[in-house]
Amino acid sequence: MNHAIEEYGRQRAIRRQTLERWLHLSESDGEVLLEFARELNIGENHLREFLDWMEEMAHRDVVSFRDIVKSSSIEPIWKDPRLGRNDKLRRVKEELRRLRFPRLVQAEREIQKRIRTMGLKSEIQLSVPLALEGGFLMLQVKSTSHEELKRLVGELATLMDRIEVKEVFDYLSGEAV
Amino acid sequence: MAASQAEQTRMVVDGGGYRPQEVIVEVGSEHGLVYENLRRTLPETPFTLVENADEFLAKLRSTGDPFGEGKKRLFLTRYKGEFLKKCPGSEGSVCCNYYVINFASNCPMECSYCYLQDYLAQNPALKVFSNVEDLLGEAHNLFNKHRNFFFRVGTGEITDSLALDPYIAFSEQIVPCFAEHPNALLELKTKSRCVDRLVSLDPKGRVVVSWSMNPQRVIDADEHGTASIEERLEAARRCQEAGYKLGFHFDPMVEYSGWEEDYREMVERVFSVLDHRRIAWLSMGVLRNTPGLKRIMRQRFPASGLLAGEQILGPDGKMRYFHPLRVSMYRKMLHWIRQASPTVFVFLCMESKQVWEQVFGFAPSCEKELGEQIIAAQ
Repeated sequence: MNHAIEEYGRQRAIRRQTLERWLHLSESDGEVLLEFARELNIGENHLREFLDWMEEMAHRDVVSFRDIVKSSSIEPIWKDPRLGRNDKLRRVKEELRRLRFPRLVQAEREIQKRIRTMGLKSEIQLSVPLALEGGFLMLQVKSTSHEELKRLVGELATLMDRIEVKEVFDYLSGEAV
Repeated sequence: MAASQAEQTRMVVDGGGYRPQEVIVEVGSEHGLVYENLRRTLPETPFTLVENADEFLAKLRSTGDPFGEGKKRLFLTRYKGEFLKKCPGSEGSVCCNYYVINFASNCPMECSYCYLQDYLAQNPALKVFSNVEDLLGEAHNLFNKHRNFFFRVGTGEITDSLALDPYIAFSEQIVPCFAEHPNALLELKTKSRCVDRLVSLDPKGRVVVSWSMNPQRVIDADEHGTASIEERLEAARRCQEAGYKLGFHFDPMVEYSGWEEDYREMVERVFSVLDHRRIAWLSMGVLRNTPGLKRIMRQRFPASGLLAGEQILGPDGKMRYFHPLRVSMYRKMLHWIRQASPTVFVFLCMESKQVWEQVFGFAPSCEKELGEQIIAAQ
């Protein structure tokens, strides 16, 4: 098994330090990670990030790497024959992030749900920073004329009374976390 | 199972009962007050005089755990740079305009989250600097030269301010120095109970003794070799009686299932034991890591639950609990503090203006403003 992991590391130019972490896993965990890595053709950066997350989850939830990689929310993605490598990798990463940072991702999803519920016109965009750092709401208004801008600002004023806006701020300021 | 290297290190430290296995003395440091104090207080400890430190440091670096191994021996050497420096703070954070004096480097305690593990990775020896007279001269000169400027100075940046005091008696030099300067305030920051020397000195209102505080559960899990919460409070009570003002740093706050109850009880305990009117300031800060520190923690403290928190990498390169979570933590802590003492001065350590706004409803406009508020508070 170690030989196969070393060989994968050589092919994908994985750093020695990262490879050592992999080699220190139990045989069962190392094996399933190899299968997973080969399927997704994982390089150094993703491997390191996944190792971090899985190690932290394994400790927190008292589970093995095998439990995580073979879980009902992860395995169907990386074994789905209909998906290409990039889609698999993106979706696996999203799901691993959700498992690693459950409350952050829950807050992000609740905020997105409320923004969608508001049904904003395409000229008005509400967004939040990456991982909610900064705790602010960003507003973008696109306008090609003075008249249009006046109309959009009027609509914005109405929007501010909606409960969803207040709820978004409750999430951003920790009230709803 | 054999004890890990970090666990072996823990065996030689104990919240104020630290005792070095050996004192290494670099030539040039074998005279003077610190050396004499060490000789007097460690009569059974072997002292080794070395021509230069290179061999000792090379040997230390070749061990499997240089940082932990470095704590077992005290290395007495001269400091060749400037002792007094401005605290670097953290990029993008509201800073508190603080100066630091480094009389030692590294710490005999062994907190799993300690940033020194990364910061001192290439320089891991537990050093005490022998040329205290240079340090005091520099402080006197600076305070005399800028009499219109107020200096708030700490000694706990890269070591614990008091953990080595039973042996080196640095407090007997530094407290009288600050006591004679009306434009300077010294903060001694510690997780120890080593205040025996302090309480016999007269700080003349110019010294704040402060403790980093965490619930006993966090101390047991991640602050190895430090004093218990009750020992810290007893030491604080003795300092208060001796005329010192007190500070408390609820930092690093750790989030876990049941943290609210533990922290609320801790805040109530602090205010039930101590006179809140003698508390100069309280600060709050959540657990902070860097990716490099996390790598080291994984090696040295693989079982620490701190690695699994929902921490996100921020623009300053530090990982903290994600923004809404830590704002929520600060608000709850502030509420418990305000219930116990509506007026005590509270500030945030290494946080952005946005977090200040959401916790307090305002943010200091600049570091000078925060520094002045802290000085006014004491």
